Amino acid sequence: MRLSFYPGCSLEGMANDYARSIDAVFKDLGIELVEIKDWSCCGSTAAHSLNQAMSAVLPARNLAAAEKMGLDLVSPCAMCFNRLRFSQNMIKKKVFDIPWPVTGNIRVHDMTRFLAEPPMIKLIKERILKPLNRLRVVCYYGCQMVRPPKITGYTDYENPQTIDRIVAATGAKVIDWSYKATCCGASIGVARKEIGESLTRRILQKARQTGAEAIVVSCPLCQSNLDMIQKDRSKRHTPVFYFTEFLRLSFEEHGDPKWFKMHFTDPVPLLKTKGLLS
Amino acid sequence: MQNVISDPDQAHEHDSGEERKLIGDRGYYFLNRMQGETGVNISACYQCERCTNACPVSHFMDIKPHQTIRYVQLGWREDLLKSSTIWICLSCEMCSTYCPNEVDVAEIINHLRNMAAHSSITPKERSLAVFHQTFLEVLQKSGRVNEFRLMNAYYSKPGILKERVKQGILVEDLLLGMTLLRKGRLKLFTPKSRAIKEIKKVYSQKRGEIV
Repeated sequence: MRLSFYPGCSLEGMANDYARSIDAVFKDLGIELVEIKDWSCCGSTAAHSLNQAMSAVLPARNLAAAEKMGLDLVSPCAMCFNRLRFSQNMIKKKVFDIPWPVTGNIRVHDMTRFLAEPPMIKLIKERILKPLNRLRVVCYYGCQMVRPPKITGYTDYENPQTIDRIVAATGAKVIDWSYKATCCGASIGVARKEIGESLTRRILQKARQTGAEAIVVSCPLCQSNLDMIQKDRSKRHTPVFYFTEFLRLSFEEHGDPKWFKMHFTDPVPLLKTKGLLS
Repeated sequence: MQNVISDPDQAHEHDSGEERKLIGDRGYYFLNRMQGETGVNISACYQCERCTNACPVSHFMDIKPHQTIRYVQLGWREDLLKSSTIWICLSCEMCSTYCPNEVDVAEIINHLRNMAAHSSITPKERSLAVFHQTFLEVLQKSGRVNEFRLMNAYYSKPGILKERVKQGILVEDLLLGMTLLRKGRLKLFTPKSRAIKEIKKVYSQKRGEIV
């Protein structure tokens, strides 16, 4: 199976551990990810805030490149996925002039939903060497991956299940909670710190109240927000994993503590007490 | 007890606090314009406040999401463009998702933000507006956005450094940057995309320049 892969800017910088775990997991699953050649930024929040036309045009360049390859596209980043889908929508409506030849007919997958399809779950279950059955976690989705449902195609946008299903397949106990799709503040924390922190803290607090030992996410920005807010060495740590890191941990007999060295909240002590890391 | 309304002097005093705004025919004009540009049926709003209740940041806004819709209906354009609402909005799409009448509130706020960016009105949340602007500039320069380049460009914007020193975030930011570098999360150099030329061309077309 081959798919075109659009990593997005975050995966080159802040989330390059996510990129590495994706590589490892897809190699293990036997799915080939072909990175789009010379991809460019999707424009993110800034483009649609200041210049709506650009928010449709910028992702279209990557869609055009994927169409040239003739492969369906998969995006690990929630924002990129949202913008690609939005652009596809706009291309079909022919509202904006796109300077690249593009029809918008390929399928754009979000990585979690792609892996949460029943055949993929079966494949994941076959590959598991080390079930993570002693961990209790909550899954956090954020906004851009699930909302607006018209664009993302999620029907269960109030209680999304994709990461839940993947994490449950690794054997970990998934706790149900009600802050799955509440906003973490995204990039507002850069310019208005107090707003960003108040939102992220609430999510962290609610996650801890459920009794979860870790949070599993799929969005690079959510991960850095939830992780970096715990940088002040407080007594209690709740590690924030990417779901692919979780899969990678269960796919290999002996995990490597180096995989997690980019985290602010060191998950190694937790994993060691659970006997999941030597 | 004295009736406030029956006393003309006092009634006048009571009024003088707030300036009365006339609606006139511009409400109709602005409403139609917004509906045309966003494709949203703004008139369908019946002020149930579901959007404001769903909004995670409504308590930081001066005009609440449901009021924003009403303001559009009344044509109070400059109040909206001057508000903090349009910059505080996170585009998390809670309001649009839960509106019973399918009024796409986030889209309307986003469109107002677009309008504000192309107007002469100084944004109330300047730092947020400048951050978006910086993001787009970095994007145009390198085709992809590198966090290190982005923060550097943001700090070199007029007034930002001063503001952040005043808030005491500068030292914290520098320490955070060092930690990120040490952990390998911050990359000083990442590859650029060859899209720069094409992107710049589209930008100038969008500005109305004929290339």
